[in-house]
Amino acid sequence: MTHVPRNNLKQEQGQDIVLPVPISFDREWLKDLESRLDKGGPWGDWRLSRLAMEGEISGLVESFEELQCMKHLASLSPLPHQLDTAHKVLFEMSGRAILADEVGLGKTIEAGLVLKEYLVRGLVSKVLILVPASLVLQWVRELNTKFGISAVAQKKAYSWDNDIVVASMDTAKRDPHKELLISREYDMLIIDEAHKLKNKKTTNYQFVQELRKKYCLLLTATPVQNDLGELFNLITLLKPGQLGNQGDFAANFVVDKRVAKNENQLRNELSKVMIRNRRGEGPVTFTKRKVSNVPLTLSPEEQTLYDGVTSFVKDQYQESGGNLSSMLSLVTLQREVCSSRDAVFVTLVNLTKKLPEDSPRRERMIELLQQIRTVKANTKAEKTISLIKEMNEKVIVFTEYRATQEYLLQYFRNHGILSVPYSGGMNRGKKDWMMDLFRGRAQVMIATEAGGEGINLQFCHHMINFDLPWNPMRVEQRIGRVHRLGQQNDVIIHNLSTTGTIEEHILHLLHEKINLFETVIGGLDTILERFEKKESLEKSLYKIMLEAESDEEIRSKVGQLGQTLAELKDGILSESEAAP
Amino acid sequence: MTMTAQQVQKHVMDYLEATECQIIEKSPVHVTVKLSPRADQMLTDRPYYWGFVERTGAEPQTLSFTFVFDPEKYDAAASVPAPRSGTGPGSRGLASQTPWGSGAAAGPGDGTPGGNPGPGAGSNPGADAGGAAGAPIGGGKNTAANNGPNDGLLGRYFGVTPVLPRLGPGLIRREDITFGSRRLRQIWSAAQTEGKCLYLFEATGNHQRMTLFSAAYEPWLAVCFKVELSCDLKREELHFIGISLLTGEIKENFNSILDPLELTPRLPENVHIQPYEISLSSGAGLLERHILSKLSGQDYSWAEAARRRLQGELEIIDAYYSELLKEQGEEKRIAAEEQHASRRKETIWQYEPNISVSPVVYGLFHLRKQ
Repeated sequence: MTHVPRNNLKQEQGQDIVLPVPISFDREWLKDLESRLDKGGPWGDWRLSRLAMEGEISGLVESFEELQCMKHLASLSPLPHQLDTAHKVLFEMSGRAILADEVGLGKTIEAGLVLKEYLVRGLVSKVLILVPASLVLQWVRELNTKFGISAVAQKKAYSWDNDIVVASMDTAKRDPHKELLISREYDMLIIDEAHKLKNKKTTNYQFVQELRKKYCLLLTATPVQNDLGELFNLITLLKPGQLGNQGDFAANFVVDKRVAKNENQLRNELSKVMIRNRRGEGPVTFTKRKVSNVPLTLSPEEQTLYDGVTSFVKDQYQESGGNLSSMLSLVTLQREVCSSRDAVFVTLVNLTKKLPEDSPRRERMIELLQQIRTVKANTKAEKTISLIKEMNEKVIVFTEYRATQEYLLQYFRNHGILSVPYSGGMNRGKKDWMMDLFRGRAQVMIATEAGGEGINLQFCHHMINFDLPWNPMRVEQRIGRVHRLGQQNDVIIHNLSTTGTIEEHILHLLHEKINLFETVIGGLDTILERFEKKESLEKSLYKIMLEAESDEEIRSKVGQLGQTLAELKDGILSESEAAP
Repeated sequence: MTMTAQQVQKHVMDYLEATECQIIEKSPVHVTVKLSPRADQMLTDRPYYWGFVERTGAEPQTLSFTFVFDPEKYDAAASVPAPRSGTGPGSRGLASQTPWGSGAAAGPGDGTPGGNPGPGAGSNPGADAGGAAGAPIGGGKNTAANNGPNDGLLGRYFGVTPVLPRLGPGLIRREDITFGSRRLRQIWSAAQTEGKCLYLFEATGNHQRMTLFSAAYEPWLAVCFKVELSCDLKREELHFIGISLLTGEIKENFNSILDPLELTPRLPENVHIQPYEISLSSGAGLLERHILSKLSGQDYSWAEAARRRLQGELEIIDAYYSELLKEQGEEKRIAAEEQHASRRKETIWQYEPNISVSPVVYGLFHLRKQ
């Protein structure tokens, strides 16, 4: 017991104990206590005080080095590589990193783990998350449901005052938001799809550079798209100087803008700021994809209709004198015939409505509409039913057309198969509901949309492409719904294709030429980006279909196009092997 | 440290009881409760509603919840009385709501138990399809309800929107509470807000009332300090220490002194408080000093390491910008300077070690003099 006489107190306090680290005391409590003594209360309940202390004890961070977040995340079981990544970001990279996993390895989960850890440790409270507009709600939902992090989507100006805000980059970088955000300090900044920050001169880049942040995560599946300089820019955003200055970087690491030198050294330097997990590496294994192409022959009525539409399209194109842009929608008619009569019917009716009363086209179109009436059966739908009955498991059917979707719903129901629809126009609640119904009791889901906000259907491993999109990215998105982490079985992909139609050519291109179905193509978006510098792939295809005189010509032109894509793919493959 | 479902339940029950909430139903894995106005204000985030009640003097309608501590067991028990085959109107929806017999369904304000579509199904958006299908049928809006599951399913797609979780008097919302869940954190923080500042006496028991001499009570100023040692990483410590305002004696682990005692907010009969020899602010100063001297004996290699990391980072940054600063053009140079300064600031913010000390709870404790 140390008895301290009152008059000695002041002096004793005066002797400073100096710590090697600055220390600050929160002294508000003394004022609070004194004011309550003056007023005679109110006083706290001892039971509640004890509860508060027990809460503190349970959440106490007792060690500098150990992930704390997992004990707060009862319902989440991250994969080993995701935990490793979180660990590295915290303890080796001090919270500034590029997360560059390949598509489908769960970068969002990794970012969520890192964020949760910092929140639990109390090192972060103000957070800004910038993502493409289409992903805002998905981020908010994932952070809330999977991580118990109260993130909100930025909607109004006052939304910025929340602690954890998810906003679209396009909104944030504009005034008046920009000015507000730059005036603040963020404990953590997370940017999804960060490859959009590759160019130093863009407003995106300059905006992010101006933001004041302590920790920072940049997420991208394609850290290098066109040249190594982009990577340099990205790192400069995060940790300027990590790869030396621009001159050093060029001298030390770059041979050609796409070819790196001193690879090992570069890789070593990069590993201090970037984590890239790859598919097929380490413990993450994906099941196989098995492709079965189902060639079908149109019934005589369908064939007649197809020929009718084809010659109509060709004639119109010639009449228009080769004016492409107005003709593109007509090719859609050809594609639609291959899907269902309902699809082509709806489009034809709409086109007819737009024409003036006396247009000569009108008559041709009405003729075609009459022809549609003669088509009674749908070859593809019949085949689909027999496929579904044969597999007797859950299956997702993708089509490009709402009319086909409606038709199939009806058709399946008449054949005693329970199916649910899924389309882009549904609101989120309905989408989730349809997904639950599919998981619970419907055997079939008929979807017109695969992209946008994720639908995750790991419990299903059959998919039928009733018709194919002409954009390879969308095909990959479709497959990605079922072929993803958590899928236990090999994924079986059935491609329906009608012989002697444009579908045949497209399938040939996607399957034979770029082998889209069987393997995940790393950097498919990059391939397309490079290809589409001139013109979009879809448009090129439309052009070929319109201009070609014969089936043979289509074949050879599509073949050339496929060749170009294949070369781009090989080029990118060798680059990504060379680059870290 | 983590907590079992039982521990979590104990914490939640402690809070609900301390705030005088009305427990409607209770089992080892859940509790259904109607909140007291006090708890409602702390937990449900309805400032406008409470503002309205305050201004108009309306009778407050507090919310009710079913807090589930072991979702797995709760769901398992819920599915027993209603086998999956039952897709009839509402059967599953209601069953999942009353796994332990009566009580939960008869929540405040709903008069018709059978026709109540709400709580069970509506509060559980993740329910399996059977449950989801039961909900709107019970709502009595769906004409296709009796035409078998197919019609019902598509009927709802074309016609009726699904029942979304709703909040309001009369509806009981289900919420799973496990360690790490937001509600538990909220309860702790509510407990701290209401319970942080204390003024308590040791209870005497009957014995003291009967004795002739009044007992001497010693005043203690005690604070539970949270010490946060941060750099780019962080560690925390809790120190509950008390100082006698009579003698200046400081005791660590003050909770171990308080735990066995019964404490009461009222001055017991036949006791007297000895006058303070030390003022509150001096006492507070001495407590701070005690913390300081405790901390001064610690190992600070973590701070040295952080400073080394900081130094390394700053060197990289300085080297990078020193090149840029040689750039031609006034404008570019100024821009680079600004960037350099702000990047340096950010880095120091990120790595610089510091310690902060803040109280969790604090107060005056009057204990029988030993």
